[in-house]
Amino acid sequence: MNRGLAWLLALAALAVAAIVLVPLFVAPSSRPAGPEGLVGEPAPAFALRDERGEPTSLERYRGKVVVMNLWASWCPPCRAEMPDLQRLSAAYATRGVAVVGVNEGESPQRALAFARSLGIAFPIWIDTQQQYGRVLAALGIPTTTIIDRHGIVASAFDGPLTFDEMQKAVAGPLSRL
Amino acid sequence: MNALLFLAPLTLAVVAGEIVFPGRNLYHYGWFNVLLAALIVTTILSARAPFRAARGARTRLGIAAIAFGAAIAGFAGVASGLLAPDSRTVVGAPGAKVRVDELGGTLSFPLTIAGANNGAAPDVVFTRSGRVTSIGASARNIGTFVLRQIPRDVVYVEAADAHGASLTVTQPNGATFLSPVLLMQQRQKIPETNLYLPFDAFAVPAAHRNVKAVLFTAQQAAMLHPTGGAQGQAVLFAVDDEDDRPLPNAIALAKDGEVVRLDGLRLRADLFSYPAIEFVAVPSLVAVALGALVVAGGFLLKSVRIAPAAEV
Repeated sequence: MNRGLAWLLALAALAVAAIVLVPLFVAPSSRPAGPEGLVGEPAPAFALRDERGEPTSLERYRGKVVVMNLWASWCPPCRAEMPDLQRLSAAYATRGVAVVGVNEGESPQRALAFARSLGIAFPIWIDTQQQYGRVLAALGIPTTTIIDRHGIVASAFDGPLTFDEMQKAVAGPLSRL
Repeated sequence: MNALLFLAPLTLAVVAGEIVFPGRNLYHYGWFNVLLAALIVTTILSARAPFRAARGARTRLGIAAIAFGAAIAGFAGVASGLLAPDSRTVVGAPGAKVRVDELGGTLSFPLTIAGANNGAAPDVVFTRSGRVTSIGASARNIGTFVLRQIPRDVVYVEAADAHGASLTVTQPNGATFLSPVLLMQQRQKIPETNLYLPFDAFAVPAAHRNVKAVLFTAQQAAMLHPTGGAQGQAVLFAVDDEDDRPLPNAIALAKDGEVVRLDGLRLRADLFSYPAIEFVAVPSLVAVALGALVVAGGFLLKSVRIAPAAEV
């Protein structure tokens, strides 16, 4: 066999070995479990109804930083977190932040009674089929997702947040155009 | 030469068979891959004599290409058989994104679910390096794996209080915590029978209740409840307290779409067909196609004869 052909075959063999073997050794993902895994992806937008029974969707909030909080009335940490969410909503409304409470799986009456009992003024959405809970891969409840002005998930949190943590979470997306 | 002309296509055929009929355990057996490796070596060795005997460079290159092309395809087959992960079925909740490290990508399960008896199952989407592949009813080859849908029975549950006000359903031990869709991945033996039935559990935290759900086929449901007029599949609900202690008179069989009242709860089960994704390793499609092309090119080179220059 002449030397040129031998070299050609050797190089081709190396290339083929790479084609065949590389896909078999894929590095495991470092993608986190739960809602954090959605950071950097477009936030899912479902057609839901608000506390007044009106159709609503995340699309209406494009251009604002959205703090989406999944909650339920039976969840004590949700109850504890609600006043801070209301405080955030009041303090940041004029700065382009919208807080939305998404009730997971409960009747509108129950959700509304709960929100009223705590003096909540931000919008409450009724997610009867628990779509957001499923798509955001909530590990528990409450779960909070921060969505930037372009509808991309900026950060996500499992468990209740303090007011300071909420402020820190919206600071980044607010500083970006 | 005759041996090479037989062995090279045979090697290609064996590896192509692994792609056309994927997922056979045979392909991962050691002896199968030893035989395949032996076939590759024999193919290469069978090329030596005709290579030496060949007169023109074109014929030599053709013979080398036939052997090399067969070796490429055969190597892809052996690598897949020995190094690729075993077949696995990935079950995801509707709306879930499941990272599959073996595939180096993510499976996105559709939020919508099709009725058990109507309509095709929705597509699952596989994303890898920004490339999106939709996996529908037919199997899809994604290079070194074939992905195909395996339809499974799942149960969508609705829980409500005695007044009919809906309540949150959670699955503390399930794949997705806030999902009302039971994937029925476990099996439970029914006492005094030989039946192992699909089983799942969920919680209704607002009512401080845990609920077990067992899926029965139409025949099993009819046997269990001969006077109930059960037609089609049914779900047996058993309501426990928060510490998983069974409550008295809190077991009932619910037909598809039927509401049953148990211990102050209204429970409804809707049965659906929902896809899981099975992935099976196959030899690299790129390598096998390349091998086949090289073999074909080799045959072409070997068969082409240059017309002798006309004598003047």
